[in-house]
Amino acid sequence: MKRSHRTTAVLGIAFGLVIACAPMAVQAEEGGPPPLKHPHITMDRKTLQEGLQVFTNICMGCHSAKYVTYGDLMRYPELGLTRKQVDALRGSKSLLAGLTTDLTPADAKMSYGKVPPDLSVITRSRQGPDYVYSILTGFEHDPSGRIPDGFYNVYFPGNHIAMPDPLTWFHHDPKDTDHIEEQARSVASFLAFIGEPHQLQRETIGYYVIGFLVLLTIVLWLLKREIWKDVKH
Amino acid sequence: MIERMLNSSVAQWLDERSGIVGMVRKHLLDYPTPKNLNYMWNFGSLAMLVLLLQILSGIFLAMFYKPDAMATAGGYTVAFDSIERIMRDVNYGWLIRYIHAVGASAFFFIIYMHLGRGLYYGSYKKPRELLWIVGVIILLVMQATAFFGYLLPWGQMSYWGATVITNLFGAVPVVGDFINELLRGGFSIGDPTLNRFFSLHYLFPMILVAIVVAHLHALHVVHSNNPTGVEPSKKGLIPFHPYYTVKDLFGVGVFLIVFCYFVFFNPTGWGLFLEPDNFSPANNFQTPAHIAPVWYLTPWYSILRSFPDKLLGVVAMALSMVLLFFIPWLDKGRVRSARYRPVFRQMVLLFFASVVVLGYCGHSEPTELLKTIGRIATAVYFGFFLFLPIVTKHEKTRPVPQDV
Amino acid sequence: MSEPTDQKRRNFLWGLASGLGAAGIAGMAVPFVKSMLPAADTLAASTTEFDLSTLVEGQMVVIAWQGIPVFVVHRTGKMLERLKGHDFRLKDPESRADYPHVGATWMKTMEQRLTRSIKPEYLVTNAHCTHLGCIPLYKPSPGQAEWGNSVPEWWPGGFHCPCHGSLYDLAGRVFDGSPAPYNLYLVPYKYTADTKILIG
Repeated sequence: MKRSHRTTAVLGIAFGLVIACAPMAVQAEEGGPPPLKHPHITMDRKTLQEGLQVFTNICMGCHSAKYVTYGDLMRYPELGLTRKQVDALRGSKSLLAGLTTDLTPADAKMSYGKVPPDLSVITRSRQGPDYVYSILTGFEHDPSGRIPDGFYNVYFPGNHIAMPDPLTWFHHDPKDTDHIEEQARSVASFLAFIGEPHQLQRETIGYYVIGFLVLLTIVLWLLKREIWKDVKH
Repeated sequence: MIERMLNSSVAQWLDERSGIVGMVRKHLLDYPTPKNLNYMWNFGSLAMLVLLLQILSGIFLAMFYKPDAMATAGGYTVAFDSIERIMRDVNYGWLIRYIHAVGASAFFFIIYMHLGRGLYYGSYKKPRELLWIVGVIILLVMQATAFFGYLLPWGQMSYWGATVITNLFGAVPVVGDFINELLRGGFSIGDPTLNRFFSLHYLFPMILVAIVVAHLHALHVVHSNNPTGVEPSKKGLIPFHPYYTVKDLFGVGVFLIVFCYFVFFNPTGWGLFLEPDNFSPANNFQTPAHIAPVWYLTPWYSILRSFPDKLLGVVAMALSMVLLFFIPWLDKGRVRSARYRPVFRQMVLLFFASVVVLGYCGHSEPTELLKTIGRIATAVYFGFFLFLPIVTKHEKTRPVPQDV
Repeated sequence: MSEPTDQKRRNFLWGLASGLGAAGIAGMAVPFVKSMLPAADTLAASTTEFDLSTLVEGQMVVIAWQGIPVFVVHRTGKMLERLKGHDFRLKDPESRADYPHVGATWMKTMEQRLTRSIKPEYLVTNAHCTHLGCIPLYKPSPGQAEWGNSVPEWWPGGFHCPCHGSLYDLAGRVFDGSPAPYNLYLVPYKYTADTKILIG
């Protein structure tokens, strides 16, 4: 190899190593939050409908998801609720209304100190459904004893979460573990779905588009090679 | 078939009244181009393609987007709501939005590659200095456009990024506060800011198109450089069509595959194109834990942060862009292409590396280690400009070929 | 030259590339054009439900459907009787005009043509006068006792448009002498329950 090329290669590798090692250095310096749990997030209808139930029965006590309307629950094929099921859920609320909680911001502030955020795009604004799942199953006893039980969460930045253990994870009966984990998994999957309802359609179309483009690019490559036969080098 | 079209009666009629056929022949079909251009020369046409895509997707987004920071339920705003409406209710709105978001990052990636090609092969050297200068102006207009556009979703990063950057302008002595107030339209980033940024975001691409036309005109006067840096003889030239039309089309194909991979399978770009914090609605009472501009602005941000003094940081950041204009005169070497300039080659590759490192540092949390690395990279970055005139005056170059 | 130019292959490749390229561009145009068609939330609001049991006898309400005002009238037996006997004064007693929304696919019996409704008691029509679009006034009682000279003395009850004087009976059928050309337009509706309709 030419000397100048070797020097360049060495420099390049050196910088590459610096860039690659930096995250480790950063982590070592901070000792940040523990790595998230990784549940098996799926978007089959059964999981999504179970997640919807968890959401409407438990989460909607305090949280809204205003960008999802009752009509959407019928419209999205992945959720596929029937008119009857939606009517049962919405009561007197319009089909055009979003899934909103009855807890007013003022009451929330009084009871919990914070207004519970809207969950429409929560998985997109945090580290995905894994974050939601980890939070829901992350309520433990505070080793230092400062933060009361039910508000100490291993995965929440700063550990003191204003949301009291919604699925009653802390000190649950071991025989309920599977059930609570499944609730957390299905609601995390549901929230991941409503964060971007067209994601499954997006990927399906994507396969066709990339397939077509690969075909087109192969033809263009053949054409280029053929035309360039004229040019001598 | 093209010949048939150009000789048709419609074409003749138009040509008699506009000279269009003559122009198409001169500037697109017969236009003499060096025969040895490599794939680094594809990025110019790719840049034009992405500009077109951004304008197209942008116009359609503007049919549905509402630049209004009025509060709505859940801590959101009319603006944020309108984008979620695009994502959920507008037919294929999600597709148009992702094309625009991925396209912005694609645009900068392509432009950086295009710029890098220019630096490496000496495409800025006489007689192409003006071409280079117009190009740097394009980069600046692009950065302004991206800055205006990023406020529009009115997420946490939108709001706080705009706050930080407008405060930067405020650091300029004498006129700083006036500029700041002019940009903001108020005492802080708010609804007036949003409305005018929307207007400017729609305007600047129009200015960009005009500057691109000027860029192309300047190019067609001096003609393309090539990897050897040697002006080609007649033997070394081939007509643009069919050789480079076909090669550019192939390049478009490859680009679209990568582009569509991101649009359809990874639209957030691992959180680089669409940042998680921007899915949280803007909250003027709570700064996100970690503010950073979008990846394509991070190198300049890193330079800013390398200086503890606010004004010095702003000056350094401005200088880092302004120095680019002067490269044709800082480089005193007589050989164009880095292929035959071993010393310059090391410098320019080191320069590229420093930009990448600066970008990484600018994107990450400023720990002590990263701050130090950032400062070293800033030194390397400015060192490139500083040492260029000294080194290139006396550099030993390799023998340069006679022709392409 | 290393080999003779295979013009046939080149033409084939040019043709194939152009064809695929054109198809690609057409395909790309589809989502953009479609994005301009009504969005999902607009379509969701394209139907309006109404509970007829909220109307008392003789009452008329105007409700909104896709931004259009719609008359819903709860007609009594006496009002239905007053639909008969003045065919000779009407421009189009049987709603036969060849014009959209004058008739309806559900108009199968002569009674339905008379009452211009699926069920006789409830009238559902577009509230725009078929002349220039004003909303006519509801004047259900017969004669001039309540309405004075604004209606003729043979007035059987119905609608009177204040803008240019068009008159309609209690089935929205337009009277001769009115500038309005057609009977009040019908809107698409169906019964989802005994006293519930879905418009649109």
